Amino acid sequence: MISLYFDPGLGAMIVQAVVAAAAGVLLFSKGVMYKVKSFFGLTKEQDDTYDSIDIEEQDTDANEEQK
Amino acid sequence: MQMKSRNSIHEASFRDPSGYMFYDGVVLRRAINPIYFPQYKKLKESGFFKTLIDKGLLISQEETSVSEEKIIITPERIPFITNPYEWSFEQFKHAALHTLKIQKYALSKGFILKDASAYNVTFHKGKPIFIDSLSFDFYEDDTPWRAYKQFITHFLGPLVLAKFHGTEVFKMLQTHIDGIPVKLIASLLPAKTKLSSTLYTNIHLLAKMESKHSEDYKAETKVAKLSKKSQNNILDSLFDYIKNLDLKESSEWGDYYSKTNYEDAAFITKKDFVSSWVNALKPEKLIDVGGNDGTFARTVLDKVAQVIVTDIDSNAVDFNYKQLQKNKETNMLPFVCDVLQPAPGIGFNNTERDSLIDRLATYAPDVTMALALIHHITLSGNVPFEKSAEFFAKFSKYLIIEFPTREDSWVESLLVRKREFINHFDFYNESNFEAGYLDYFELEKKEVITGTKRILYLLKRRDDVG
Repeated sequence: MISLYFDPGLGAMIVQAVVAAAAGVLLFSKGVMYKVKSFFGLTKEQDDTYDSIDIEEQDTDANEEQK
Repeated sequence: MQMKSRNSIHEASFRDPSGYMFYDGVVLRRAINPIYFPQYKKLKESGFFKTLIDKGLLISQEETSVSEEKIIITPERIPFITNPYEWSFEQFKHAALHTLKIQKYALSKGFILKDASAYNVTFHKGKPIFIDSLSFDFYEDDTPWRAYKQFITHFLGPLVLAKFHGTEVFKMLQTHIDGIPVKLIASLLPAKTKLSSTLYTNIHLLAKMESKHSEDYKAETKVAKLSKKSQNNILDSLFDYIKNLDLKESSEWGDYYSKTNYEDAAFITKKDFVSSWVNALKPEKLIDVGGNDGTFARTVLDKVAQVIVTDIDSNAVDFNYKQLQKNKETNMLPFVCDVLQPAPGIGFNNTERDSLIDRLATYAPDVTMALALIHHITLSGNVPFEKSAEFFAKFSKYLIIEFPTREDSWVESLLVRKREFINHFDFYNESNFEAGYLDYFELEKKEVITGTKRILYLLKRRDDVG
């Protein structure tokens, strides 16, 4: 076991199963809603300047190959 | 300088046994202890650090020396650290999204963020950046995210509370250095938040589970499990939720400069004085205290390497932050600051997070601007001139300060509010202002802004002060 200095709290560890289940349902229904909305052309652009949660890795890989 | 202790270990880095920050002369370096060598080597050799650094998500770092007892790395210097209680709503949001983004990427590469402290993020070159490279650890299959609760107490909780109660809530982090307790967050939220599946599970249910298991001394024998897919769902869902968060009273920034009490011509005159005085001083570092959305600071932005703009109004800071992102300005750093109550030193020994004054004194800006501010400090805050002069002299070499005279309409309205005590403020005049400030500064320039009842001063700190 890796020793860690931050106590995660057992309650907080257990609750994540429920949080994840709720998140899964929400993400799924949002995905469905998005498809329905985009079918009718109702999707709108986000105005927040922060991009997405995912990191595009292609360009760094390409850089490495060039070197 | 209080940032340095006697053994020159940085006061903010003692909590993590993996390593610590220390001053090597004036250079801040990070020492890594052998307990963290396996993690560090894997993070480095797998290219994980490189990707995050190339993407501008993690502060860049160089390996300085390697021995059996210690690995020393030197991170890129960050000129000025802002703390979570000094961020605007949008800045706070971006720091939260930044943390989730890094955790999701880490998870995909077999790592985790072992802590999700808001202090691991700060703002640098116009963007949030992760500054603690020792916060990563190996992912063990099917383990829940151990920093999850910390993410809620440091990020989700304060953001959701700000949504309902305003950004003043962020100041609660000054008294709760490890985040706002979940129970407190839950109790402060309106009952209707229990109907939101995200808020119910992440806050209300978490608070319940916390108190249920808080006295569970057999905790170490119980193991909670969570698949990687499920953890990704939590991260994606939190990211979506936070990205769409808005302040309830989403007051559009009320365009302060359309409410000024002087003509456009006077506005331009003031701008011209400010930019010609600043340009003549050729400063590297400038701070505009009470600088609103950065309108005046922007007149010199292309001539000064680092510009900081503070304001008491979180909305103005937010507007400035949005503008700098839109314009891709990398030398503008806005943050929230109430001059009458600047951020104190907090945490263990009162030194874990430095007070604003200490940070400003260490930063040592070449020029400080205080435009349309002194009447608020003096008349709203009842601060005598020599006291506010002392404040500015603590960190400013040159001070450009605007003095609205008694005839200025805003000063008049502030004085009227004193009612029967109006005579107590007879001292508010040009000669007393000069007397108070010339205790600490020498007069370099003085100009009346034509078309206004205001005077602009350029002052230089006396050699025997500071």
